[in-house]
Amino acid sequence: MTWVFIAMIVLAAAGVKLQDSLRDSLRPLVAPLCVAMIGVGLWGLAVIWTGSRVFPGPLQTCLGLAELIESERLWGDIIASLFRVTWGFFLAASVGIPLGLVVGWNMRVFTAMNPIIQGLRPISPIAWIPIAILWFGIGDGAGIFLIFLSAFFPIAVGTTAAVRNISLVHQRSAENFGLAGLELFRRVVFPAAMPQIITSLRIALGVAWLVIVAAEMVGMDSGLGYLINDARNAGSRYDLVVATMVVIGMIGIVLDLLIRQLERFDEVRWGYEKR
Amino acid sequence: MTSANQEPAKVVFNGISKSFGRKGESLRVLEDINLEVQDGEFICLLGPSGCGKSTLLNIVAGFEESDAGSVTIDGEIVAGPNPQRVFVFQEYGIFPWASVWDNVALGLRHLSEQERAKIVEATISMVGLSGFEAAYPMELSGGMKQRVEVARALAVSPDVIYMDEPFGALDSLTRLGMRAEIVRIWQQEKKTILFVTHDVDESIQLADRIVVLTERPGRIADIVEVGLEHPRDLGSGEYGAIKNRLYDLLGVAHTI
Repeated sequence: MTWVFIAMIVLAAAGVKLQDSLRDSLRPLVAPLCVAMIGVGLWGLAVIWTGSRVFPGPLQTCLGLAELIESERLWGDIIASLFRVTWGFFLAASVGIPLGLVVGWNMRVFTAMNPIIQGLRPISPIAWIPIAILWFGIGDGAGIFLIFLSAFFPIAVGTTAAVRNISLVHQRSAENFGLAGLELFRRVVFPAAMPQIITSLRIALGVAWLVIVAAEMVGMDSGLGYLINDARNAGSRYDLVVATMVVIGMIGIVLDLLIRQLERFDEVRWGYEKR
Repeated sequence: MTSANQEPAKVVFNGISKSFGRKGESLRVLEDINLEVQDGEFICLLGPSGCGKSTLLNIVAGFEESDAGSVTIDGEIVAGPNPQRVFVFQEYGIFPWASVWDNVALGLRHLSEQERAKIVEATISMVGLSGFEAAYPMELSGGMKQRVEVARALAVSPDVIYMDEPFGALDSLTRLGMRAEIVRIWQQEKKTILFVTHDVDESIQLADRIVVLTERPGRIADIVEVGLEHPRDLGSGEYGAIKNRLYDLLGVAHTI
Protein backbone atom coordinates (compact mmCIF):
# COMPACT_ATOMS: atom_id res chain seq x y z
CA MET A 1 0.00 0.00 0.00
CA THR A 2 2.85 2.38 0.84
CA TRP A 3 4.42 1.64 -2.50
CA VAL A 4 1.24 2.52 -4.29
CA PHE A 5 1.10 5.74 -2.33
CA ILE A 6 4.70 6.67 -3.20
CA ALA A 7 4.12 5.80 -6.84
CA MET A 8 1.08 8.05 -6.91
CA ILE A 9 3.08 10.96 -5.48
CA VAL A 10 5.85 10.48 -8.02
CA LEU A 11 3.33 10.29 -10.84
CA ALA A 12 1.55 13.40 -9.60
CA ALA A 13 4.85 15.29 -9.40
CA ALA A 14 5.81 14.21 -12.88
CA GLY A 15 2.31 15.04 -13.98
CA VAL A 16 2.67 18.67 -12.93
CA LYS A 17 5.76 19.04 -15.09
CA LEU A 18 4.43 17.15 -18.05
CA GLN A 19 0.93 18.43 -17.65
CA ASP A 20 0.83 20.73 -20.65
CA SER A 21 2.36 18.44 -23.23
CA LEU A 22 0.62 15.42 -21.75
CA ARG A 23 -2.73 17.11 -21.77
CA ASP A 24 -2.30 17.96 -25.41
CA SER A 25 -1.36 14.44 -26.38
CA LEU A 26 -4.08 12.80 -24.31
CA ARG A 27 -6.90 15.11 -25.30
CA PRO A 28 -7.89 13.20 -28.46
CA LEU A 29 -8.25 10.05 -26.32
CA VAL A 30 -10.79 11.52 -23.92
CA ALA A 31 -13.88 11.39 -26.11
CA PRO A 32 -13.41 7.86 -27.49
CA LEU A 33 -12.61 6.55 -23.98
CA CYS A 34 -15.83 8.10 -22.66
CA VAL A 35 -17.86 6.51 -25.45
CA ALA A 36 -16.18 3.13 -24.85
CA MET A 37 -16.87 3.33 -21.12
CA ILE A 38 -20.52 4.18 -21.71
CA GLY A 39 -20.77 1.24 -24.13
CA VAL A 40 -19.22 -1.18 -21.67
CA GLY A 41 -21.47 0.17 -18.92
CA LEU A 42 -24.62 -0.33 -20.99
CA TRP A 43 -23.46 -3.84 -21.87
CA GLY A 44 -22.99 -4.70 -18.18
CA LEU A 45 -26.36 -3.18 -17.27
CA ALA A 46 -28.12 -5.07 -20.06
CA VAL A 47 -26.71 -8.39 -18.83
CA ILE A 48 -27.80 -7.68 -15.24
CA TRP A 49 -31.20 -6.41 -16.38
CA THR A 50 -32.05 -9.44 -18.51
CA GLY A 51 -30.67 -11.78 -15.89
CA SER A 52 -28.89 -13.79 -18.56
CA ARG A 53 -26.94 -16.78 -17.29
CA VAL A 54 -25.29 -17.52 -20.61
CA PHE A 55 -24.32 -14.18 -22.03
CA PRO A 56 -21.23 -12.74 -20.25
CA GLY A 57 -20.92 -9.22 -18.86
CA PRO A 58 -17.72 -7.17 -19.13
CA LEU A 59 -16.23 -8.63 -15.97
CA GLN A 60 -16.86 -12.25 -16.98
CA THR A 61 -15.36 -11.48 -20.36
CA CYS A 62 -12.23 -10.11 -18.70
CA LEU A 63 -12.01 -13.22 -16.53
CA GLY A 64 -12.52 -15.33 -19.63
CA LEU A 65 -9.71 -13.47 -21.32
CA ALA A 66 -7.45 -14.10 -18.34
CA GLU A 67 -8.37 -17.80 -18.42
CA LEU A 68 -7.55 -17.99 -22.14
CA ILE A 69 -4.21 -16.27 -21.67
CA GLU A 70 -3.32 -18.59 -18.80
CA SER A 71 -4.40 -21.72 -20.64
CA GLU A 72 -1.73 -21.04 -23.30
CA ARG A 73 -4.05 -22.48 -25.85
CA LEU A 74 -4.85 -18.93 -27.03
CA TRP A 75 -1.30 -18.35 -28.31
CA GLY A 76 -1.36 -21.49 -30.40
CA ASP A 77 -4.65 -20.46 -31.99
CA ILE A 78 -3.44 -16.89 -32.62
CA ILE A 79 -0.31 -18.24 -34.30
CA ALA A 80 -2.38 -20.68 -36.39
CA SER A 81 -4.65 -17.88 -37.64
CA LEU A 82 -1.80 -15.44 -38.28
CA PHE A 83 0.20 -18.13 -40.07
CA ARG A 84 -2.61 -18.76 -42.57
CA VAL A 85 -3.33 -15.07 -43.05
CA THR A 86 0.34 -14.19 -43.56
CA TRP A 87 0.97 -16.87 -46.17
CA GLY A 88 -2.30 -16.39 -47.99
CA PHE A 89 -1.83 -12.61 -48.00
CA PHE A 90 1.74 -12.71 -49.30
CA LEU A 91 0.84 -15.19 -52.02
CA ALA A 92 -2.10 -13.00 -53.04
CA ALA A 93 0.09 -9.88 -53.13
CA SER A 94 2.86 -11.56 -55.09
CA VAL A 95 0.39 -12.74 -57.74
CA GLY A 96 -2.15 -9.91 -57.56
CA ILE A 97 0.21 -6.91 -57.85
CA PRO A 98 2.13 -8.04 -60.98
CA LEU A 99 -1.09 -9.25 -62.59
CA GLY A 100 -2.88 -5.99 -61.79
CA LEU A 101 0.01 -3.97 -63.23
CA VAL A 102 -0.11 -5.85 -66.52
CA VAL A 103 -3.92 -5.93 -66.76
CA GLY A 104 -4.12 -2.22 -65.96
CA TRP A 105 -1.44 -1.20 -68.43
CA ASN A 106 -2.17 -3.38 -71.44
CA MET A 107 -5.58 -2.81 -72.99
CA ARG A 108 -5.66 -6.20 -74.71
CA VAL A 109 -4.80 -8.10 -71.56
CA PHE A 110 -7.42 -6.01 -69.77
CA THR A 111 -10.11 -6.93 -72.30
CA ALA A 112 -9.20 -10.59 -71.98
CA MET A 113 -8.83 -10.83 -68.21
CA ASN A 114 -11.15 -8.29 -66.68
CA PRO A 115 -14.46 -10.13 -67.30
CA ILE A 116 -13.08 -13.26 -65.62
CA ILE A 117 -11.75 -11.33 -62.64
CA GLN A 118 -15.00 -9.40 -62.29
CA GLY A 119 -16.98 -12.65 -62.60
CA LEU A 120 -15.07 -14.46 -59.85
CA ARG A 121 -14.76 -11.48 -57.55
CA PRO A 122 -18.35 -11.42 -56.19
CA ILE A 123 -18.16 -15.05 -55.04
CA SER A 124 -17.63 -14.94 -51.29
CA PRO A 125 -14.49 -16.76 -50.17
CA ILE A 126 -16.77 -18.54 -47.69
CA ALA A 127 -18.51 -20.23 -50.62
CA TRP A 128 -15.15 -21.73 -51.58
CA ILE A 129 -14.76 -23.55 -48.24
CA PRO A 130 -16.09 -26.94 -49.45
CA ILE A 131 -13.80 -26.82 -52.47
CA ALA A 132 -10.86 -25.72 -50.31
CA ILE A 133 -11.41 -28.73 -48.05
CA LEU A 134 -11.85 -31.02 -51.05
CA TRP A 135 -8.53 -29.88 -52.54
CA PHE A 136 -6.43 -29.33 -49.43
CA GLY A 137 -8.16 -31.26 -46.64
CA ILE A 138 -8.75 -29.89 -43.13
CA GLY A 139 -5.75 -27.76 -42.16
CA ASP A 140 -3.41 -24.95 -43.09
CA GLY A 141 -3.54 -25.59 -46.84
CA ALA A 142 -7.26 -24.91 -47.06
CA GLY A 143 -6.90 -21.83 -44.82
CA ILE A 144 -4.07 -20.37 -46.89
CA PHE A 145 -6.02 -21.03 -50.08
CA LEU A 146 -9.10 -19.24 -48.75
CA ILE A 147 -7.07 -16.26 -47.56
CA PHE A 148 -5.36 -16.16 -50.91
CA LEU A 149 -8.79 -15.90 -52.58
CA SER A 150 -9.99 -13.26 -50.12
CA ALA A 151 -6.95 -11.04 -50.58
CA PHE A 152 -6.24 -11.68 -54.25
CA PHE A 153 -9.29 -9.95 -55.71
CA PRO A 154 -9.03 -6.66 -53.78
CA ILE A 155 -5.30 -6.51 -54.59
CA ALA A 156 -5.61 -7.38 -58.29
CA VAL A 157 -8.61 -5.13 -58.89
CA GLY A 158 -7.10 -2.27 -56.84
CA THR A 159 -3.79 -2.47 -58.68
CA THR A 160 -5.54 -2.54 -62.06
CA ALA A 161 -7.54 0.56 -61.17
CA ALA A 162 -4.40 2.26 -59.84
CA VAL A 163 -2.59 1.77 -63.14
CA ARG A 164 -5.55 2.94 -65.17
CA ASN A 165 -5.68 6.09 -63.03
CA ILE A 166 -2.13 7.19 -63.83
CA SER A 167 -2.42 10.79 -64.99
CA LEU A 168 -2.06 11.56 -68.69
CA VAL A 169 0.61 14.14 -67.87
CA HIS A 170 2.80 11.50 -66.21
CA GLN A 171 2.23 9.03 -69.04
CA ARG A 172 3.22 11.67 -71.57
CA SER A 173 6.25 12.69 -69.52
CA ALA A 174 7.39 9.08 -69.58
CA GLU A 175 6.76 8.87 -73.32
CA ASN A 176 8.57 12.16 -73.92
CA PHE A 177 11.70 10.97 -72.12
CA GLY A 178 11.68 7.71 -74.03
CA LEU A 179 10.83 5.33 -71.18
CA ALA A 180 9.69 1.91 -72.36
CA GLY A 181 9.39 -1.70 -71.25
CA LEU A 182 10.59 -2.69 -67.81
CA GLU A 183 12.09 0.72 -67.18
CA LEU A 184 8.70 2.33 -67.78
CA PHE A 185 7.18 -0.01 -65.19
CA ARG A 186 9.95 0.52 -62.67
CA ARG A 187 10.14 4.30 -62.97
CA VAL A 188 6.56 5.30 -63.68
CA VAL A 189 3.81 2.69 -63.70
CA PHE A 190 4.71 0.98 -60.43
CA PRO A 191 5.54 4.08 -58.36
CA ALA A 192 2.54 5.98 -59.74
CA ALA A 193 0.23 3.13 -58.76
CA MET A 194 1.90 2.49 -55.39
CA PRO A 195 -0.30 4.62 -53.10
CA GLN A 196 -3.46 2.99 -54.41
CA ILE A 197 -1.82 -0.46 -54.30
CA ILE A 198 -1.05 0.09 -50.61
CA THR A 199 -4.68 1.05 -50.02
CA SER A 200 -5.81 -2.15 -51.71
CA LEU A 201 -3.36 -4.17 -49.59
CA ARG A 202 -4.89 -2.61 -46.53
CA ILE A 203 -8.41 -3.52 -47.63
CA ALA A 204 -7.27 -7.03 -48.56
CA LEU A 205 -5.66 -7.63 -45.17
CA GLY A 206 -8.87 -6.50 -43.48
CA VAL A 207 -10.94 -8.91 -45.56
CA ALA A 208 -8.44 -11.72 -44.95
CA TRP A 209 -8.74 -11.26 -41.20
CA LEU A 210 -12.55 -11.40 -41.46
CA VAL A 211 -12.52 -14.52 -43.61
CA ILE A 212 -9.99 -16.55 -41.64
CA VAL A 213 -12.30 -16.62 -38.59
CA ALA A 214 -15.24 -17.88 -40.65
CA ALA A 215 -13.05 -20.43 -42.41
CA GLU A 216 -11.70 -21.77 -39.13
CA MET A 217 -15.18 -22.07 -37.68
CA VAL A 218 -16.26 -24.35 -40.51
CA GLY A 219 -13.29 -26.12 -41.97
CA MET A 220 -10.33 -26.18 -39.61
CA ASP A 221 -9.36 -27.62 -36.25
CA SER A 222 -7.26 -24.77 -34.88
CA GLY A 223 -7.15 -20.98 -34.95
CA LEU A 224 -9.25 -18.25 -33.36
CA GLY A 225 -12.37 -19.16 -35.34
CA TYR A 226 -12.11 -22.73 -34.19
CA LEU A 227 -11.57 -21.50 -30.62
CA ILE A 228 -14.89 -19.64 -30.74
CA ASN A 229 -16.76 -22.71 -31.97
CA ASP A 230 -14.99 -24.95 -29.49
CA ALA A 231 -15.81 -22.66 -26.54
CA ARG A 232 -19.49 -22.74 -27.45
CA ASN A 233 -19.62 -26.48 -28.05
CA ALA A 234 -17.70 -27.29 -24.87
CA GLY A 235 -20.43 -26.24 -22.46
CA SER A 236 -21.64 -22.90 -23.80
CA ARG A 237 -18.62 -20.97 -22.55
CA TYR A 238 -19.85 -17.68 -23.95
CA ASP A 239 -17.40 -15.78 -21.76
CA LEU A 240 -14.62 -17.39 -23.80
CA VAL A 241 -16.51 -16.73 -27.03
CA VAL A 242 -16.72 -12.99 -26.36
CA ALA A 243 -13.15 -12.88 -24.99
CA THR A 244 -11.93 -14.43 -28.24
CA MET A 245 -13.92 -11.87 -30.21
CA VAL A 246 -12.10 -9.13 -28.27
CA VAL A 247 -8.76 -10.73 -29.15
CA ILE A 248 -9.76 -10.92 -32.84
CA GLY A 249 -10.67 -7.24 -32.81
CA MET A 250 -7.42 -6.19 -31.18
CA ILE A 251 -5.29 -8.20 -33.58
CA GLY A 252 -7.25 -6.68 -36.47
CA ILE A 253 -6.39 -3.18 -35.24
CA VAL A 254 -2.71 -4.10 -34.88
CA LEU A 255 -2.60 -5.59 -38.41
CA ASP A 256 -4.12 -2.42 -39.84
CA LEU A 257 -1.68 -0.22 -37.91
CA LEU A 258 1.23 -2.30 -39.20
CA ILE A 259 0.21 -2.13 -42.85
CA ARG A 260 -0.50 1.59 -42.60
CA GLN A 261 3.19 2.11 -41.92
CA LEU A 262 3.69 1.57 -45.64
CA GLU A 263 1.89 4.87 -46.28
CA ARG A 264 4.67 6.82 -44.59
CA PHE A 265 7.42 6.31 -47.15
CA ASP A 266 8.51 9.44 -49.05
CA GLU A 267 7.81 7.70 -52.35
CA VAL A 268 4.09 7.29 -51.65
CA ARG A 269 3.15 10.09 -49.26
CA TRP A 270 2.07 12.27 -52.20
CA GLY A 271 -0.79 9.87 -52.83
CA TYR A 272 -2.47 10.45 -49.48
CA GLU A 273 -2.04 14.16 -48.86
CA LYS A 274 -4.22 16.38 -51.07
CA ARG A 275 -4.70 14.81 -54.43
CA MET B 1 13.83 37.07 -87.98
CA THR B 2 12.04 36.69 -91.30
CA SER B 3 12.40 33.36 -93.00
CA ALA B 4 13.72 34.63 -96.30
CA ASN B 5 17.42 34.30 -97.20
CA GLN B 6 18.27 32.42 -94.00
CA GLU B 7 19.07 28.83 -93.20
CA PRO B 8 16.03 26.50 -93.40
CA ALA B 9 13.47 26.83 -90.61
CA LYS B 10 13.78 24.63 -87.52
CA VAL B 11 10.10 23.78 -87.09
CA VAL B 12 7.63 23.91 -89.97
CA PHE B 13 3.84 23.53 -89.64
CA ASN B 14 2.36 22.46 -92.98
CA GLY B 15 -1.38 23.05 -93.18
CA ILE B 16 -2.36 21.45 -89.87
CA SER B 17 -6.04 20.75 -89.30
CA LYS B 18 -7.71 18.85 -86.51
CA SER B 19 -11.26 17.91 -85.49
CA PHE B 20 -12.59 16.13 -82.44
CA GLY B 21 -15.64 13.89 -82.47
CA ARG B 22 -18.15 14.88 -79.84
CA LYS B 23 -21.56 13.24 -79.46
CA GLY B 24 -21.46 12.08 -83.06
CA GLU B 25 -20.70 15.57 -84.31
CA SER B 26 -17.30 16.60 -85.46
CA LEU B 27 -15.88 19.70 -83.84
CA ARG B 28 -13.25 21.55 -85.85
CA VAL B 29 -10.54 22.93 -83.56
CA LEU B 30 -7.66 23.78 -85.89
CA GLU B 31 -7.80 24.89 -89.49
CA ASP B 32 -4.89 25.07 -91.89
CA ILE B 33 -2.10 26.24 -89.62
CA ASN B 34 1.07 27.19 -91.49
CA LEU B 35 4.10 28.49 -89.62
CA GLU B 36 7.88 28.49 -89.79
CA VAL B 37 9.94 28.76 -86.63
CA GLN B 38 13.65 29.58 -86.78
CA ASP B 39 16.29 27.87 -84.68
CA GLY B 40 16.63 29.57 -81.29
CA GLU B 41 13.44 31.56 -81.68
CA PHE B 42 11.01 32.17 -78.83
CA ILE B 43 7.46 31.84 -80.20
CA CYS B 44 4.27 32.41 -78.24
CA LEU B 45 1.01 30.87 -79.43
CA LEU B 46 -1.60 33.29 -78.11
CA GLY B 47 -5.33 32.76 -78.27
CA PRO B 48 -8.56 32.60 -76.30
CA SER B 49 -9.46 29.51 -74.26
CA GLY B 50 -10.59 26.63 -76.43
CA CYS B 51 -8.99 27.93 -79.63
CA GLY B 52 -6.95 24.76 -80.03
CA LYS B 53 -3.55 26.19 -79.12
CA SER B 54 -2.80 23.39 -76.66
CA THR B 55 -3.95 20.84 -79.21
CA LEU B 56 -1.59 22.41 -81.71
CA LEU B 57 1.31 22.13 -79.27
CA ASN B 58 0.42 18.50 -78.54
CA ILE B 59 0.46 17.77 -82.27
CA VAL B 60 3.86 19.43 -82.72
CA ALA B 61 5.19 17.46 -79.75
CA GLY B 62 3.91 14.20 -81.24
CA PHE B 63 1.38 13.38 -78.50
CA GLU B 64 -1.59 13.77 -80.84
CA GLU B 65 -2.04 13.31 -84.57
CA SER B 66 -3.38 15.91 -86.94
CA ASP B 67 -6.15 15.06 -89.42
CA ALA B 68 -4.42 16.89 -92.22
CA GLY B 69 -1.01 18.44 -92.69
CA SER B 70 2.25 17.63 -90.97
CA VAL B 71 4.99 19.06 -88.79
CA THR B 72 8.63 18.80 -89.76
CA ILE B 73 11.55 19.49 -87.47
CA ASP B 74 14.97 19.76 -89.11
CA GLY B 75 13.29 18.47 -92.26
CA GLU B 76 11.96 15.30 -90.63
CA ILE B 77 8.25 14.62 -90.13
CA VAL B 78 7.23 14.36 -86.47
CA ALA B 79 5.78 10.89 -85.80
CA GLY B 80 5.86 10.82 -82.02
CA PRO B 81 7.44 12.32 -78.92
CA ASN B 82 11.21 12.59 -78.89
CA PRO B 83 13.58 12.98 -75.92
CA GLN B 84 15.35 15.82 -77.75
CA ARG B 85 12.19 17.93 -77.68
CA VAL B 86 10.83 18.29 -74.21
CA PHE B 87 7.33 19.25 -73.12
CA VAL B 88 6.72 21.33 -70.00
CA PHE B 89 3.18 20.72 -68.77
CA GLN B 90 0.79 23.12 -67.13
CA GLU B 91 -0.14 20.70 -64.38
CA TYR B 92 3.07 19.46 -62.97
CA GLY B 93 4.43 16.68 -65.14
CA ILE B 94 7.24 15.94 -62.73
CA PHE B 95 6.96 12.70 -60.77
CA PRO B 96 5.75 13.19 -57.19
CA TRP B 97 7.25 9.83 -56.16
CA ALA B 98 10.79 10.90 -57.06
CA SER B 99 13.12 13.42 -55.43
CA VAL B 100 14.08 16.67 -57.19
CA TRP B 101 17.39 15.07 -58.11
CA ASP B 102 15.80 11.95 -59.61
CA ASN B 103 13.26 14.03 -61.53
CA VAL B 104 15.93 16.18 -63.13
CA ALA B 105 18.01 13.08 -63.92
CA LEU B 106 15.10 11.40 -65.76
CA GLY B 107 16.37 12.12 -69.26
CA LEU B 108 20.01 11.34 -68.45
CA ARG B 109 19.67 7.60 -67.87
CA HIS B 110 22.14 6.68 -70.60
CA LEU B 111 25.01 8.70 -69.08
CA SER B 112 27.61 7.53 -66.59
CA GLU B 113 26.99 8.25 -62.93
CA GLN B 114 29.62 11.02 -62.93
CA GLU B 115 28.44 12.85 -66.04
CA ARG B 116 24.86 12.60 -64.85
CA ALA B 117 25.70 14.07 -61.45
CA LYS B 118 27.55 16.97 -63.06
CA ILE B 119 24.65 17.91 -65.34
CA VAL B 120 21.96 17.44 -62.69
CA GLU B 121 23.86 19.59 -60.23
CA ALA B 122 24.48 22.35 -62.78
CA THR B 123 20.86 22.37 -63.99
CA ILE B 124 19.40 22.42 -60.48
CA SER B 125 21.63 25.34 -59.67
CA MET B 126 20.63 27.11 -62.91
CA VAL B 127 16.97 27.13 -61.88
CA GLY B 128 17.90 28.19 -58.35
CA LEU B 129 17.00 25.01 -56.47
CA SER B 130 20.38 24.12 -54.98
CA GLY B 131 19.87 22.62 -51.55
CA PHE B 132 16.56 21.01 -52.52
CA GLU B 133 18.00 18.02 -54.35
CA ALA B 134 16.64 15.50 -51.85
CA ALA B 135 13.22 17.15 -51.48
CA TYR B 136 10.06 15.60 -52.88
CA PRO B 137 7.70 17.68 -55.05
CA MET B 138 4.96 17.76 -52.41
CA GLU B 139 7.37 19.62 -50.12
CA LEU B 140 7.85 22.37 -52.72
CA SER B 141 5.75 25.41 -53.68
CA GLY B 142 4.05 25.59 -57.08
CA GLY B 143 6.77 27.84 -58.46
CA MET B 144 9.52 25.52 -57.28
CA LYS B 145 7.77 22.51 -58.81
CA GLN B 146 7.64 24.31 -62.13
CA ARG B 147 11.37 25.08 -61.80
CA VAL B 148 12.01 21.37 -61.32
CA GLU B 149 10.08 20.66 -64.49
CA VAL B 150 12.02 23.31 -66.41
CA ALA B 151 15.25 21.82 -65.05
CA ARG B 152 14.16 18.33 -66.11
CA ALA B 153 13.67 19.69 -69.62
CA LEU B 154 16.93 21.67 -69.74
CA ALA B 155 19.01 18.80 -68.38
CA VAL B 156 18.75 16.83 -71.62
CA SER B 157 19.91 19.91 -73.53
CA PRO B 158 16.93 19.70 -75.86
CA ASP B 159 16.61 21.17 -79.35
CA VAL B 160 13.13 22.48 -78.76
CA ILE B 161 11.13 23.15 -75.60
CA TYR B 162 7.34 23.12 -75.66
CA MET B 163 5.58 24.94 -72.85
CA ASP B 164 1.82 24.66 -72.39
CA GLU B 165 0.78 27.53 -70.11
CA PRO B 166 3.51 26.43 -67.72
CA PHE B 167 2.90 29.24 -65.25
CA GLY B 168 -0.89 29.16 -65.41
CA ALA B 169 -1.28 27.58 -61.98
CA LEU B 170 1.04 30.05 -60.22
CA ASP B 171 0.14 33.26 -58.40
CA SER B 172 0.77 36.44 -60.38
CA LEU B 173 3.96 37.52 -58.57
CA THR B 174 5.58 34.10 -58.86
CA ARG B 175 4.52 34.08 -62.51
CA LEU B 176 6.37 37.35 -63.17
CA GLY B 177 9.48 35.94 -61.52
CA MET B 178 9.28 32.75 -63.56
CA ARG B 179 8.97 34.73 -66.80
CA ALA B 180 12.14 36.69 -66.01
CA GLU B 181 13.79 33.38 -65.21
CA ILE B 182 12.75 31.72 -68.44
CA VAL B 183 13.99 34.71 -70.48
CA ARG B 184 17.32 34.56 -68.66
CA ILE B 185 17.67 30.83 -69.30
CA TRP B 186 16.57 31.21 -72.92
CA GLN B 187 19.17 33.93 -73.53
CA GLN B 188 21.81 31.71 -71.97
CA GLU B 189 20.88 28.47 -73.74
CA LYS B 190 19.38 29.74 -77.02
CA LYS B 191 16.83 26.93 -77.32
CA THR B 192 13.88 27.11 -79.66
CA ILE B 193 10.82 27.62 -77.46
CA LEU B 194 7.16 27.22 -78.40
CA PHE B 195 5.10 28.67 -75.59
CA VAL B 196 1.30 28.48 -75.37
CA THR B 197 -0.51 31.16 -73.39
CA HIS B 198 -3.78 33.06 -73.24
CA ASP B 199 -2.09 35.91 -71.37
CA VAL B 200 -1.39 38.92 -73.61
CA ASP B 201 1.23 40.42 -71.28
CA GLU B 202 3.01 37.12 -70.90
CA SER B 203 3.37 36.79 -74.66
CA ILE B 204 4.78 40.33 -75.07
CA GLN B 205 7.21 39.86 -72.21
CA LEU B 206 8.59 36.61 -73.59
CA ALA B 207 8.28 36.17 -77.32
CA ASP B 208 10.28 37.15 -80.39
CA ARG B 209 7.11 36.62 -82.39
CA ILE B 210 3.53 36.14 -81.22
CA VAL B 211 1.28 33.87 -83.27
CA VAL B 212 -2.28 35.01 -82.61
CA LEU B 213 -4.97 32.36 -83.06
CA THR B 214 -8.65 33.01 -83.65
CA GLU B 215 -11.50 31.49 -81.71
CA ARG B 216 -12.52 27.95 -82.64
CA PRO B 217 -11.78 26.73 -85.20
CA GLY B 218 -8.31 28.11 -84.54
CA ARG B 219 -6.69 29.83 -87.48
CA ILE B 220 -3.70 32.15 -87.51
CA ALA B 221 -5.12 35.66 -87.26
CA ASP B 222 -1.71 37.29 -87.57
CA ILE B 223 1.88 37.01 -86.46
CA VAL B 224 3.16 39.96 -84.43
CA GLU B 225 6.88 40.72 -84.18
CA VAL B 226 7.78 42.05 -80.77
CA GLY B 227 11.21 43.45 -81.65
CA LEU B 228 11.98 44.74 -78.14
CA GLU B 229 15.31 44.08 -76.45
CA HIS B 230 15.38 42.15 -73.17
CA PRO B 231 14.96 43.28 -70.46
CA ARG B 232 11.70 44.76 -71.67
CA ASP B 233 10.19 47.89 -70.21
CA LEU B 234 6.57 47.05 -69.44
CA GLY B 235 5.69 50.76 -69.32
CA SER B 236 7.14 51.77 -72.68
CA GLY B 237 5.08 53.10 -75.59
CA GLU B 238 6.08 50.25 -77.91
CA TYR B 239 4.93 47.74 -75.33
CA GLY B 240 1.55 49.46 -75.12
CA ALA B 241 1.25 49.62 -78.90
CA ILE B 242 1.87 45.86 -79.25
CA LYS B 243 -0.62 45.23 -76.51
CA ASN B 244 -3.30 47.26 -78.31
CA ARG B 245 -2.54 45.46 -81.55
CA LEU B 246 -2.98 42.07 -79.83
CA TYR B 247 -6.22 43.14 -78.19
CA ASP B 248 -7.49 44.20 -81.61
CA LEU B 249 -6.56 40.85 -83.12
CA LEU B 250 -8.23 38.97 -80.27
CA GLY B 251 -11.31 41.17 -80.59
CA VAL B 252 -11.23 42.38 -76.99
CA ALA B 253 -11.94 45.89 -75.70
CA HIS B 254 -8.93 48.02 -74.68
CA THR B 255 -10.70 49.55 -71.74
CA ILE B 256 -12.68 48.22 -68.82
